[in-house]
Amino acid sequence: MRPDADDGGAVAPPDPWDPVVRLTHWAVVIAVLVNYFIAKPGGTIHVWVGWALMAVLALRFLWGLVGPHEARFSAFPPDPRATLSHLADLLRGRAREHRSHNPAGAMMVYTLWALLVAVSLTGLVMTGGKSPVTIAEEKAAVAAGDWSVLVNDDGGDHDEGGNSDFAEEIHEVAANLIIMLAALHVAGVALESRLLKRSLVRPMIRGSRPR
Amino acid sequence: MTVPSRDRLVTLVPAVFLVLQSIAALFFLGDALADLRREPMAAETLLEQLVALALICGIGLSAWHLRQSLDRLRAQERALAAARGELARTIDTQFDSWGLTPAERDVGFLALKGLDVADIAAMRGAAQGTVRAQLTRIYAKAGVSGRAQFAAWFVEDLLHDGVRPAE
Repeated sequence: MRPDADDGGAVAPPDPWDPVVRLTHWAVVIAVLVNYFIAKPGGTIHVWVGWALMAVLALRFLWGLVGPHEARFSAFPPDPRATLSHLADLLRGRAREHRSHNPAGAMMVYTLWALLVAVSLTGLVMTGGKSPVTIAEEKAAVAAGDWSVLVNDDGGDHDEGGNSDFAEEIHEVAANLIIMLAALHVAGVALESRLLKRSLVRPMIRGSRPR
Repeated sequence: MTVPSRDRLVTLVPAVFLVLQSIAALFFLGDALADLRREPMAAETLLEQLVALALICGIGLSAWHLRQSLDRLRAQERALAAARGELARTIDTQFDSWGLTPAERDVGFLALKGLDVADIAAMRGAAQGTVRAQLTRIYAKAGVSGRAQFAAWFVEDLLHDGVRPAE
């Protein structure tokens, strides 16, 4: 029962992730899983989820500018050299604590963000930038017997047919890459958790670290 | 020790709303932009632009507020940890100067935490008589009359000296 006299002055282990980081993280996870595995490609739900994903990403980017230290971009700048040395350390079975993302994690974050933005933008091109609300309205109009929206739609699609195909290609490649990198990300978290002897998942869920 | 659940909610609830606001704002913005393309100068379109702008400003403001409460909570946590460490150090030094044995230190800490003889005995797997004897020795070494004075030794410096006699 001896109180640890160093308790107060000691350097704290990595601070917990704040609620915005945690919520946006898991929202992106759900959106990616739903749109990749469950929602019909190009279907209404797929577009709704895609738009929600864009909003969540936008919020996370805003938070990267105004959020607390660990959440800000400045806390985890992309640094290829540090990434390589971090990975080399991992291979040797060593891991160091970092306050925010570790260098390899930071690279993963930026790559995934870039791919998520690419997927969102190409998705917008493929749907002609129409919001899910507009799409739902058009579907309702068609269901009610008003086919004029479809005529307009066809005209628009013909103009940028090549564009749309190209966008579709990128959309699919980026989506596949996201899933692959997400799997790698999970593997990295598992490895690092083992080396650091603490769960890296727990702070992302609960926000507090065990003490 | 985990963050108390009330503190957790204080930041979690605004964060949830922030996410919902963002999603709502983007859908609204998409709709407003579609209308802007269709009929740029219609009254409804202009109103939609205004609402979209207000929503986005609101999100920025909420984010800023949340950031500030997070900072405040963290500062409090740090101050509390520092105070705890400081108190622990003070107690440690004082116990050293009284020359308490390791067993007496343990009992002393538990007594300071407010545990009674039965609890301390149960925690240490000792007889109550032993604990009582240890406490007596601690009080003797510290030169205090009993538990109240023993505990007061560590808090009296923290209190203001504005002690007024009863009228």
